[in-house]
Amino acid sequence: MGTRIEAACALTRGGPRKVTARGLADAAARACLAQAGRRPGDVDMLINAGIYREDNMGEPALAALIQEDIGANLGEPPVGAHGTFSFDLLNGACGVITAIQLQSGLLCSGVIRYGAIVTSDVDPDAGSHGAAALRPAGGAMLLGWDDGIAGFTDFHVETFPEYADLYTSGLVWQGRRGIRFPRQGAGRHQLVIDEKPGYQDRLADCAEEATRNFLRELGMDMTEVDLLVPAPSAPGFLDPLRERLGVPGDRVAYTPEDLAGTHTTGLITAVQAAIRSGRLGEAGNTLMLAAGSGITVALALYRQASA
Amino acid sequence: MTENGQEQPGHWLTLQSAGSGSSWGCRIESVGVKLPARRLTTRDLMSKTSHRTRIQLERLTGIHERRVVGPGENSFTLAAGAARDCLSHSQHRASDIQMLVNTSITRSNGRFSQSFEPPLSLYVKQAIGAAQAVNLDLSNACAGMLTGVFLLQDLISRGEIDCGMVVSGEYISNLSWNAAKQIRSLFSKQLASLTLGDAGAAVIVERVPGGSGIDVIGFTTLAEHSRLCLAFPSTLGPGSQMYTKSRTLHRVAIADMAVLAAEAIGQAGIDIADIDYLIPHQTSARAIRAGTKEFVRRLGARPKHVVVNLEEYGNTSSTTLFVALHKYLEEQRIRKGDRVMLLALASGIEIGIAIFTVDSMVDHYGNTH
Repeated sequence: MGTRIEAACALTRGGPRKVTARGLADAAARACLAQAGRRPGDVDMLINAGIYREDNMGEPALAALIQEDIGANLGEPPVGAHGTFSFDLLNGACGVITAIQLQSGLLCSGVIRYGAIVTSDVDPDAGSHGAAALRPAGGAMLLGWDDGIAGFTDFHVETFPEYADLYTSGLVWQGRRGIRFPRQGAGRHQLVIDEKPGYQDRLADCAEEATRNFLRELGMDMTEVDLLVPAPSAPGFLDPLRERLGVPGDRVAYTPEDLAGTHTTGLITAVQAAIRSGRLGEAGNTLMLAAGSGITVALALYRQASA
Repeated sequence: MTENGQEQPGHWLTLQSAGSGSSWGCRIESVGVKLPARRLTTRDLMSKTSHRTRIQLERLTGIHERRVVGPGENSFTLAAGAARDCLSHSQHRASDIQMLVNTSITRSNGRFSQSFEPPLSLYVKQAIGAAQAVNLDLSNACAGMLTGVFLLQDLISRGEIDCGMVVSGEYISNLSWNAAKQIRSLFSKQLASLTLGDAGAAVIVERVPGGSGIDVIGFTTLAEHSRLCLAFPSTLGPGSQMYTKSRTLHRVAIADMAVLAAEAIGQAGIDIADIDYLIPHQTSARAIRAGTKEFVRRLGARPKHVVVNLEEYGNTSSTTLFVALHKYLEEQRIRKGDRVMLLALASGIEIGIAIFTVDSMVDHYGNTH
């Protein structure tokens, strides 16, 4: 018995209108539910793990707006039915694995029956913060409980705070200079993403160390991993990592080019690729990996053998 | 609730309870706060509005003063300070904390007015020496801290972890200053921004034998009302601006809250009259009074005490419930055996409820009752 991935969907456009974080997350959530053959009302918990938005809204949680947009249990449910609990989670590129860990536990306890994880990022100040522009992308994953598989059995998170300064981001207040016209603001908050040289190399080092520690904890070696599903959030670190871990290319779920370079959606793009290629269904032991700011490395083992 | 994903009977709340057959319970072990030393009276704040408003804010809200940050203080310093205070009331050391969740809406850290990456929780765990803790940030408006407790309860009751901390540092007084530049009348949607105060709070939760600890904790999101309170980065000055349809928010929340509270109380197997202290989210004294009245009308009984600490601190956002709990522990007003209901109300609309019986926690606050 274990947590099962019901469906995963990632996309770069949410519809004909301007690309927004909310629009991308809404579109991905709807597509994911349709893939799984589930209704929005089936979702007991909705976690948004996306970070960068066009408006940088502080409250409510974007998850609440997504819940409203997709129509998941908006008001009092009928007798015997249930509501939906929505909130945002921030853990950079590792947010999706953290959300899976939390929902997997709640599924195990029977507190929830279906959990949705959504992500989206857009660049509110494209190109003006010095770092590479964030690629607009949104994703959604639906998790359920399956009596026939072991599902997500183990999780491992390691942080390497000595490298915390290699990737930082946030809003910086910039006061307007010169003459101000009536009704003109005094300034604006600009997004600053500061990626220092060497970040992606350190990501590979940390990801390798954390993966080896995780496998040691599990009593496994890399040859027992049938499929590696790495979040391509920082694509420059993947190939060196794969080589160091000795994973053949045919045991890695590579994200298609049109979805490469996505941020919090990275893991969902890789899972979607693994599902579409049929390889996730064939793999007994799948190792999911994400690495990002902190430096934080998150890993999850997904087993499709029965528990 | 049943083990291993079997269908639970329908609840509006996403609900966890101690009597559900879990091997372990989860108890609140200690609470800590960090309140900035500087005080700002409502009179002083209202004397600095750009327009002459004639709003009698103190009479309307019951807020006499609030704490505001001084130089060098921000969301991070408040969160880290609260975490240290929490540890000082705890039998745990920082190295015991296996998961640390930061839940502040504001995440200013000196360099950024709002930081995104790495999560603020990473810096908090470094500051207090909880290096081995898994850390994450979550954002759920003013319900953030109780959301963190909800998530840790599941990890603890399944035996995944023994001990976790939820922390929040809210530097929100700049919303008041931004609002003060524009507010003209009582009908301004930024009026609620004038009620805010800065504070940090932290809570440690730990594993106890099954059947004890937090009796019930549950949440739901009334997403059809998701747009009643919105906050965005300001163009008037550093920080955000918040736009709230306060009356509508309270009206719709109170109507549903009574039903949800009845569900939680029913799950705990008690009556509303068995609640010794109801600690609601602190918005305005008038709103809390009206809410309690409606609550009582719908539930047919009243809790013995309703905690209001707005006079001193104002609305401290995600920290209000634990700032209030800490104050009542420090003042030795809450005694061993008292049953407490925490009631979170937040933009979303998020409604969260936790019911627990106060235990030896009071001993860490000099309470010998």
